[in-house]
Amino acid sequence: MADHAMEGSEPIDLSRHPSGIVPTLQNIVATVNLDCPLDLKAIALQARNAEYNPKRFAAVIMRIREPKTTALIFASGKMVCTGAKSETQSKLAARKYARIIQKLNFPAKFKDFKIQNIVGSCDVKFPIRLEGLAYSHGAFSSYEPELFPGLIYRMKQPKIVLLIFVSGKIVITGAKVREETYTAFENIYPVLTEFRKIQQ
Amino acid sequence: MGRTCCKSCGSESLTRDEVSGSLLCANCGSIIELETFEAHIGGINDPTGTYVLVGTSGTGSILPPKEKKIFEAHKLIEDLSFKLGLSRFTSDEVSDMIVRITEGEYGMGAWFSVLVGACACIVMRRDKKSLSVAQAAAVVGCDDRELGRMITRVVDFLELKKNGEFPIYNIVTVFDQAVRDFSGFRRLSKDKIMMLNKQGMFLIQCAVKWFITTGRRPMPVVVALLVFLAELNEIDIKIEDVAGEFHATVSTSKRRYKELLEALIDASRALPWGKDVTLKNIKKNAPFVIQYMEMKSMLKVKGQNSETFDLDDVIKECLRTISDYQLDERVVGVSNSQYFEIEHRSESDWPSVNDMNISHECLSLIYTKFLEEKGYNTPSKDKRNVSGTKKMMGVDLHTCSEWWKGISDLSKKLMLEEILEKDVGLDPMPPSFTRGLLANERRRERINAAKKRISRIMSPDSVGIELVSKFHTENEARPKKRRRNKGEVVDWEDFIIEALLLHQVKEEEIEKGHYNTLLDLYVFSSV
Repeated sequence: MADHAMEGSEPIDLSRHPSGIVPTLQNIVATVNLDCPLDLKAIALQARNAEYNPKRFAAVIMRIREPKTTALIFASGKMVCTGAKSETQSKLAARKYARIIQKLNFPAKFKDFKIQNIVGSCDVKFPIRLEGLAYSHGAFSSYEPELFPGLIYRMKQPKIVLLIFVSGKIVITGAKVREETYTAFENIYPVLTEFRKIQQ
Repeated sequence: MGRTCCKSCGSESLTRDEVSGSLLCANCGSIIELETFEAHIGGINDPTGTYVLVGTSGTGSILPPKEKKIFEAHKLIEDLSFKLGLSRFTSDEVSDMIVRITEGEYGMGAWFSVLVGACACIVMRRDKKSLSVAQAAAVVGCDDRELGRMITRVVDFLELKKNGEFPIYNIVTVFDQAVRDFSGFRRLSKDKIMMLNKQGMFLIQCAVKWFITTGRRPMPVVVALLVFLAELNEIDIKIEDVAGEFHATVSTSKRRYKELLEALIDASRALPWGKDVTLKNIKKNAPFVIQYMEMKSMLKVKGQNSETFDLDDVIKECLRTISDYQLDERVVGVSNSQYFEIEHRSESDWPSVNDMNISHECLSLIYTKFLEEKGYNTPSKDKRNVSGTKKMMGVDLHTCSEWWKGISDLSKKLMLEEILEKDVGLDPMPPSFTRGLLANERRRERINAAKKRISRIMSPDSVGIELVSKFHTENEARPKKRRRNKGEVVDWEDFIIEALLLHQVKEEEIEKGHYNTLLDLYVFSSV
């Protein structure tokens, strides 16, 4: 896992990334079960880094600086950790939140940690004819410029959603493991090159 | 109910005394007390009252709730269809679609209006017509995105994409409809509207080619184009009014209008006087530019067949129309006549043609002469005074119908591939892409500067001194004002880049500009 985080400083493995582009992970959302009922008011009163407004949202919002993440802690003991940039960071952050809850005298455990969503982004460095892509991949794509400037591409295998913009910037979301993100990008890259605008 | 009877004799025969109004026993004559009165409240045998339905006007409704809901739903569909300007047939189709979705149940409440609006948009798109989401949302009285979500849900539910009943968004169709519906063009003749439509069709397809429309809200582009067309054809309209009519944002419409003009300026660069064309005079030059583009788009097709294409031919062809008017040298002046001799120039002369400058006075003279030849009444009375700025302002564009031929294929609705195949003399990159490239370039410069600063600190004796001296000479060469602004000023971004470089992050990664992610991964990472 640790080597994943440092991938950016190493040469690109072309067997894994034939396009030569590695999507950068921007956000990881994970859930964990602390397996004990929690008194959110007590947590909000005792923890300095917590905010709780039951009228607005029925969970304590807690933040830590390293890894820079945000957690939503529910009264049932379930927790959602967001904002990590790697799987390792996400797990470490979740553990830190669980430890904070333990320190507040709750019998918190660390059960069923699971990464629910990985968001990545990259730039193919050429403009894309969204209209052409929408026309030829109509079954998978939705391009409604009245509502959203990008083309929404729903890939079936792996089941990933890609947001493709005319500038060549791509957002890949819906993956549970980072390999899905990479596979989805490698699958879409040849399609994008078909609709690239050639620089003159 | 107990029947009223006399308490003293028990007789049930009672009469009313006409004088006192009391109830009397007809047998013994005793007065029947009021306590015997029994109010008719409740009970199964009570007399039936009048049925009053609360919440309806007039005589009340006799419809059961479900039928009433359907009746109201039909009324709403008709009402919204009328407001959206749908035909009877389209309105029926919307109704049919709602029946399919709700299984004949219809519905009530705000969501139902949104559903009607969504179905109206879908039916119009299916029939290759146009109804913008913004317009439908304004009529329905909901948010654009709410309506958009409903459209997506309906399309998915009815699986319209699979059946090919939901074609992809086409801005050309939208523009076509907009020209027909636009109130500013209603007073024009049918022929004129048709011409405007063709001109607009040509320009909007050029805009598609130029990435002015891709990934942008379509209505502001349509508004910008309508305003430009109106100006070109001397129809007095304001961009604010047009934007209001089509529910487009005024500022975005103005921005698109400017982008359109800038694209035309870029296209005009191929003309000999192209360098002199600016935002101020592009409207006056637009007929020439469009004519050039039109001819070029046609020549491209010719070139494809014969597999030869010469840019010079296009310009010559374009300019021939000007020189055909046999400009009087006395009017034009000997010094300016060189601009109209392009036909006789050799290939090697072309670079000098690009260097030529044509004055606005000269352009004005061309117009004046042209208008005289064609017998138009121009506001200029004395052709010698035409070179004056005030007279220049007076030159009108009566000739728009002359320069416009409308014979290019781009004046008709084309498939995207066909639009892209056409060459109109300009093929720019999307603005967002260009901005991205510039941002990357800027970051690259900052990375290089950061590297220099780091090496200066790390090895001040050898490389550092050399770099410092180079840096200083560079700074000295620059003008004073610039040095103060750009010289040694180091901001937050430079510090981040320095930190990342010192943490061995690849320069390509830094160039992407995802600073937060990189900081989290490499600088503040305890993993």
